Amino acid sequence: MIYIVAAFHAEAKPLIEHFGLKKLYEPSKFQIFSGNDILLIESKEGIEKSSIATTFALTKFGAGSKDIALNIGICGAVENAFSKGDVILCNKIINHHSKKAFYPDILIQHSMKEATLESFMHPVKKDSLPVEIEGDIVDMEGAGFFEAASIFLPLHNVHCIKIVYDFLDFEKINPVEIESMIKQSIPHIENLINSLLKLNLEFYNNTPEIDNIPLLVNKLKNSLHLTAYMTNELESLLKDYIIRHKKLPDSIFEFFEVQINSKKEGKNYFDKLRKILLS
Amino acid sequence: MTSSEKSFLAKHFSHVYVEKAVLSHPVTIKILENLRSSQIVKIDNYKEVFCRAGQNYSLQEKSKKLILAKKWGEFLYPAPSICHNFGYDNFFYTSNILNCIYSCEYCFLKGMYSSANVVIFVNIEDYFKEIDAVLGNMPLYLSVSYETDLLALEKIVPFSSAWIEYAASKQNLTIEIRTKSTNFKALENLKPQDNVILAWTLSPQEIIEKFEHGTPSLSSRLSAIKKATENGWKVRLCFDPILYIEDWKMVYEKFLNQVFGEMNPDKIVDISVGVFRIPKDYLKRMKKAFANEITSFPYEESQNICTYSKELKEEMINTILLILGNFVPSSKIFVI
Repeated sequence: MIYIVAAFHAEAKPLIEHFGLKKLYEPSKFQIFSGNDILLIESKEGIEKSSIATTFALTKFGAGSKDIALNIGICGAVENAFSKGDVILCNKIINHHSKKAFYPDILIQHSMKEATLESFMHPVKKDSLPVEIEGDIVDMEGAGFFEAASIFLPLHNVHCIKIVYDFLDFEKINPVEIESMIKQSIPHIENLINSLLKLNLEFYNNTPEIDNIPLLVNKLKNSLHLTAYMTNELESLLKDYIIRHKKLPDSIFEFFEVQINSKKEGKNYFDKLRKILLS
Repeated sequence: MTSSEKSFLAKHFSHVYVEKAVLSHPVTIKILENLRSSQIVKIDNYKEVFCRAGQNYSLQEKSKKLILAKKWGEFLYPAPSICHNFGYDNFFYTSNILNCIYSCEYCFLKGMYSSANVVIFVNIEDYFKEIDAVLGNMPLYLSVSYETDLLALEKIVPFSSAWIEYAASKQNLTIEIRTKSTNFKALENLKPQDNVILAWTLSPQEIIEKFEHGTPSLSSRLSAIKKATENGWKVRLCFDPILYIEDWKMVYEKFLNQVFGEMNPDKIVDISVGVFRIPKDYLKRMKKAFANEITSFPYEESQNICTYSKELKEEMINTILLILGNFVPSSKIFVI
């Protein structure tokens, strides 16, 4: 699953349309859209709201280690090194207020510029820019999103993508312009998503036999009346055996049908099984 | 790695994380000159990046990043008992680089750190100052390539050369630079030093292909060793770790015959032999990050060290020693 967190509907709308997402009508405090293995949540403005929405989405929909989380939205550029509409992948994200810094793992190639993002709790204008600012770009969500998402997902699967909207001298935000800028950035976002999916697919351990281990262990736990300690040991032994031999031991199936009448009998069967799995 | 994999992965050192305190250090400047296309990210402390929660070691190995930092506190550590001391007292190691560009499946570094990224402590002058002070009180046998392969990183940072040049003026210091690299060319212009041992880890080609990802072939390692001995360097051969594989006897016999078929044993200072062994906690962490033949082997544990059963270990060591006996006197062989 790809989780996208956007603050405003103007930022979300082009993504909803492009990926063919449909509104979820489950009771929730958030606007959520889903489809094609993508879930988009609108967090509203601010570090805290972004953090809450991210946590809600990743827990409610059961995020796993191969899932991806992206925060997509507009930002202001501190430096004139950027142009309006530049799509930026953040390589460092700072919470201006807590001074905490976060570092996504950028393991794949991408077509975006890179920069340090600094997140504030309030809008930042050029004339009120703090002297100690380190970010090249500023926003109001990235740090909240990243801190929350990185609790649930590995760091290579959590990224902030920001599109330069202004140079901290804005007067009023124009939703139509934002929609258009997000729309133009979609090829870069799609490219990143595809590379991340490929990375997770190709290099994570995808052994089907290993995926079946919990099922096997549960069956053996019941048939042999195993203690919690024995169950843990069995799980580890089974995994090791499959990695070494690329298959299950043929004799394991006999153990599924065993009838146990005493604790001692169960232990004897377990010892026999352990011996097989250590070979 | 196939070309399609290469096409979407970021190349090694695509990002360099630099502690603000060392941004203007001459070693930092030199390293960054060689990595002009890399993204530079400023950090306060290397641990912010190196010790983050949520890193995936095995995926990071596909695109390692570089971290430049300043070392504080201790610079020398007593070597652990599972390492050879080669008869030297005061055996210490030092680490001005953490982690390696190679990806050997059996490497203890995979259990030691939560990150596959490489840390270079650029302030090598502080290491030298610390050692100067110690050498005033006692002689030192120092492993300088303990948590990395210094020679393999010589193009990025010439620390092997720096250590050799430093050791040249120190009479009561002996250093060992252990490597799998074939980059002897980087040292060719240096004068061989009596108190510098270049130690090459050698494995059968079958083991290299299966477990030592990204390392040079056996034949190219042997060529580098030959050049080093011809140039007058003291060379140690390390048959360590010897790994158990199904047909290990045949594989290691063929391997040792090849090594000494190409190499004059008289040119070798000494030889170390040891089977795979690893602290229990490291193995536990390696198992979490890597599911492979090395981590899944049913080792026996004693005093918090996991290794092969006593019988298997004895059989492996005795077999290797028997073959080595055909080429080298036992006085030159150190076993652990």
